[in-house]
Amino acid sequence: MSENRQVAVVGGGLTKFGVRAATWAELAQEAGEALFRSVPALEASAVDSLFVGAAEPERFAFQSHVAPLVAEQMGLAPHRIVQRNELACASGQSAIRSAYAAIRAGLSDVAVAVGVEKMNIPSLAEANSAMACVLDRPWDAAHGLTAPPFFAMVAQRHMLEHGTTEEQLAAVSEKNHRFANANPVAQFYEKKFDREKLLRLPLIAPPLRLGDCSSMTDGAGAVLLVTQDRVRDYTDTPAWIRGSGQYADFHNLANMESLTDWTGLTRASREAFRSAGIGPKDLDFAELHDCFTISELIEYEAIGFCAKGEGGKYAADGRTDIGGEIVVNPRGGLLGCGHPLGATGIAQAVEVSQQFAHQVEASRQVPDPEWAMVHNLSGSANVHSVMIYQRGG
Amino acid sequence: MTAMAEVTERKAQKNRKRRAAASTAPPSTSPPATGPPERLPYLLDLYPVESSTQTRLTPFFEALQRGRFTTTRCRKDGKLLWPPRVVCPICHTAELEWVDLPSTGRIYAFSAILAGAPVGQEGDLPRVVGLVEMDGSPLRLFGRLLGIDWRECRIGLPVRVEPITLPDGRTFYAFRVIR
Repeated sequence: MSENRQVAVVGGGLTKFGVRAATWAELAQEAGEALFRSVPALEASAVDSLFVGAAEPERFAFQSHVAPLVAEQMGLAPHRIVQRNELACASGQSAIRSAYAAIRAGLSDVAVAVGVEKMNIPSLAEANSAMACVLDRPWDAAHGLTAPPFFAMVAQRHMLEHGTTEEQLAAVSEKNHRFANANPVAQFYEKKFDREKLLRLPLIAPPLRLGDCSSMTDGAGAVLLVTQDRVRDYTDTPAWIRGSGQYADFHNLANMESLTDWTGLTRASREAFRSAGIGPKDLDFAELHDCFTISELIEYEAIGFCAKGEGGKYAADGRTDIGGEIVVNPRGGLLGCGHPLGATGIAQAVEVSQQFAHQVEASRQVPDPEWAMVHNLSGSANVHSVMIYQRGG
Repeated sequence: MTAMAEVTERKAQKNRKRRAAASTAPPSTSPPATGPPERLPYLLDLYPVESSTQTRLTPFFEALQRGRFTTTRCRKDGKLLWPPRVVCPICHTAELEWVDLPSTGRIYAFSAILAGAPVGQEGDLPRVVGLVEMDGSPLRLFGRLLGIDWRECRIGLPVRVEPITLPDGRTFYAFRVIR
């Protein structure tokens, strides 16, 4: 029965992330170039389904119906399932989850999940409007709510309730920028940020400074997902999807029970661990959604890497660095790589695949990883999406 | 002009008159300055639609114009719902009623937007915003905080709901710190 069909990511590639002189469609073409380069055995005719993660092409590129656009840009002709996935900041993971579900259900055998976002447009204010309408537009965003003030309030409450400090936030940013410093596709590749420099950067939404915030980024990527019978056609080091969980509860901020206790993530990660048959201590590394430094700290707590309120100390003590208990964001995170909304989840999956194959730069390679988690939040942390991967081969 | 269009036009004229009356500034309404300088293209306008041709929540804005801050409550299970709704998410019936909300509360968390504002708010920085715990109510509402510099803002400060008039005549609200 199809229930036992296993699904693996067998490769993928990314464009350069950053402020790019390239349109949305050109980024999609580059994602195709990167995919076919990273999986030499892939023939376009073998791809039966296409899932396109794109948060706001209507806003950033004035373009809807982007799934067929991507098919054309990448030279694909999907004949089973073709769709776009929108889940704001988690759109890329949403595309992967749909591909996973389709293959697991027997509706697809070979699927491509793509993520594209073009965020650096000539009008910064219009880009900010696009980001504002991710939130409850008439009742929250109209007052001035965007992501930075939201996560600033989260940080303020975490500081008040648990004694978290700006220095602890900077420790997260320093770690992730250091990994990005060695990652050629990262927006902040070869850019150095020590903690003192981070603490001198301008305030964006107090207490958060520029270095606490991920950037507006242009970028794209694509991964190949296949059913168990096709894995050996493409790779010797598959990344098997072993678990998944997702949770959504509120939208307007009035209906968020706690700013600092992300129970939705606890629920989503418990479901992911349950379905994978492992626990937090079994993970070798995690790609967590560090859209802001405070997010990563609360994620440690909600997933169960450390106790409630101890995320700041956990980061500052180096427990999530190479050589610590669990490496978090060896890719460089959203802070260091930039955050092209739809492409972020794809880039995290590419990182898992490349870490398992020992294909990343030595300074950010996790020693012999077997289990990895990928997490995305979206909006005001009102949706949490979690997947767990195991190295095969 | 169709009969329907005539009705719509008559309503629009009535609304314009009402807005003109409202703009003679009742003392409880602060001067306009919060919204964009003029009405933005529809799909860049962050503020709620208020016209009864576009929403079923017009009573919220009409009450606000009269200085009353309201929301909907479910008649069946008594649940206070924010933002105002037309169907209860618990019992899934439309048996909702309008009820008054407290007009005062205390700041639970706040920040200020120093950069990165959307269209219409770029010229209006820094913008102090926060979550307000409404007095005697389970609701914690987000809004703009008026009358305070962000460097002097503190958790726990008392605030009052203040209706504001947008440049195009619509009514919205903010919170003003009580001195």
